[in-house]
Amino acid sequence: MAVDAQAVARGDVAARPRREREQELLVWPDLVFIEFIAAVVFTVTFFVLSVALNAPLLNRANLNITPNPSKAPWYFMNLQELLLHMHPALAGVIVPTIALLLLAALPYLDRKAEGQGVYFGTPNAVKITLFSAAFAAVFTAGLILYDQGRHVNVVTNIAQHVDKDWEWPTVLAPFQNVRAIQTGWEWEIPVPEGVQVGSGEHDGELNWPQDFEHVPMPFNGTSGPDWMQWDKPDFLPGWMQALYWYDLNLNLPAFVVELLIPVALMVGLPAALLYLLRRLGWLYGVHDAAIALFTGFISVYVVLTIIGAGFRGAGQDLVLPWDVPRID
Amino acid sequence: MAVTEQPRGPRLGSWLYDKLFHNYVWRSVFRSGYPDTPRNQMLAIATNVFLHLHPTRLHKTHVKITHTYCLGGITFFFFLALTVTGVMLMFYYVPGVDRAYSDIAALETNVRFGMLMRNLHRWMAHGMVITVFLHMMRVFYTGAYKPPREFNWVVGVILLVLTLLLSFTGYLLPWDQLAIWAVTVGTNMIGSAPLLGGETRYFLIGGFEVGDAALIRFYTLHVIGLPLLAAIFMAVHFWRVRRDGGLARPL
Ligand code: HEM
Repeated sequence: MAVDAQAVARGDVAARPRREREQELLVWPDLVFIEFIAAVVFTVTFFVLSVALNAPLLNRANLNITPNPSKAPWYFMNLQELLLHMHPALAGVIVPTIALLLLAALPYLDRKAEGQGVYFGTPNAVKITLFSAAFAAVFTAGLILYDQGRHVNVVTNIAQHVDKDWEWPTVLAPFQNVRAIQTGWEWEIPVPEGVQVGSGEHDGELNWPQDFEHVPMPFNGTSGPDWMQWDKPDFLPGWMQALYWYDLNLNLPAFVVELLIPVALMVGLPAALLYLLRRLGWLYGVHDAAIALFTGFISVYVVLTIIGAGFRGAGQDLVLPWDVPRID
Repeated sequence: MAVTEQPRGPRLGSWLYDKLFHNYVWRSVFRSGYPDTPRNQMLAIATNVFLHLHPTRLHKTHVKITHTYCLGGITFFFFLALTVTGVMLMFYYVPGVDRAYSDIAALETNVRFGMLMRNLHRWMAHGMVITVFLHMMRVFYTGAYKPPREFNWVVGVILLVLTLLLSFTGYLLPWDQLAIWAVTVGTNMIGSAPLLGGETRYFLIGGFEVGDAALIRFYTLHVIGLPLLAAIFMAVHFWRVRRDGGLARPL
């Protein structure tokens, strides 16, 4: 009757495979025994661990004393690490939400039933796994070092052996870290007399970054010709007002640094990984792509967690693990 | 032992079992005889509500440790052990900012085995987060999310989220510097959501700062709300493992 109940759902839902009785073992004793042993081993292990190692208890909670660094629980330190490199809404909410949704959607994207029930069920799975793990780890660590300006330190150190007064050249100013595009870089476009771009004084040029910090959003009601200006729509219910971008001006340099570049990297690097695997001739079909992306995800998660947990000291500076201050 | 094998002859175990337990009361509890014949072994599983989470038979590749590394089972075991140690901690813990910290501190000094219970609870909570991740990885790399197990993978993702939330809500309860600042950092992340972030944060911690309201909310979620949800989804998860034909096998 169990089969009848399923028959309704058959059709394009896969049926369960027929059983070969002679390949089967009895759960009692074969499985129950293993479970019992596992339970005993784990109970003993954790008793020993708990006798040997005490759970931490710091000073009583006090919101007036902020420990430096303050850290999230370790499994969220990856998000905290992301937070240092992009807009908080992106790092703290949007990225994890999308990651979880994609994770949950995985079986609906990779629907071929082949390749299940054994480890690494496609011909190139092991190669793809190793390559993707390394690719993701190298790029994640590399990007963090870049955003921390470590390449500047290294190059400067080396160059100063040759020339004591060497400094990072101004042409390369935007390449000190990602934020430098916004804060360490200046250029201008000449604007002819009589052409008015935006509001404010006309000084004959558009300067990066300051002249790009208040780019009005379309229909924000406070910019453009008179007919495009209106009062704040107070008559709308509160949540609609929260949704409507009244008086919103885009800070373009900040937008580039905090949203555009991170999103481009988070979409572009996985795409580049797939492209590369394809060119290497390893990647066939959705299952392979799933292996590459899932592995990359795990690898990024692990690298971010390790760096966030072990290499972030006071002020979230990048330091070596033994320089991370212990807080009490 | 394959199912087709013949039952073994009488053994010391079954003789002892008969002598000791073949009485009216024992038979009212355990319906089947000593599990040394395939029939009794299957009955032992099928007539016991706990063991009945299992099928009565399974494919021989699935008892290989290296197929599952027992990771799902260990995760479940952690959940059970955390429930037991958690109940014991509840006897001594009052969730209020005035008491919470001293109650936890008193476990170290005033409560027999209090420290041990707290350590077990803490380390197993970390362990569960790790094993649930490893379990997800083993399921992924064995392609076990593929049809017909799509939905059970989704249930798994929900369990992953619930596990993280259980751990996160528990993190606040000792009410020490680690706790309050970890939760402050964590909930600030939620507060940065593009829409309704501030509102969500306010709703979660019952105020603008992590205080009494946050503590009682986290406590309630930690000791009853989330465990209940997790138990329900685990029941669905295990049920589906069986309904989908046991563990995944090559086609
Ligand atoms: C509290 C968390 C969880 C518990 C207690 C749990 C428990 C289990 C157990 C006992 C099994 C039987 C086989 C084994 O031990 O590997 C299993 C199988 C499975 N789990 Fe989980 N699990 C949890 C979380 C997850 C997560 C996070 C996922 C995936 C995102 C997942 C997906 C699956 C799938 C698809 C199967 C079937 C595997 C197969 O057919 O080989 N579970 N789970």
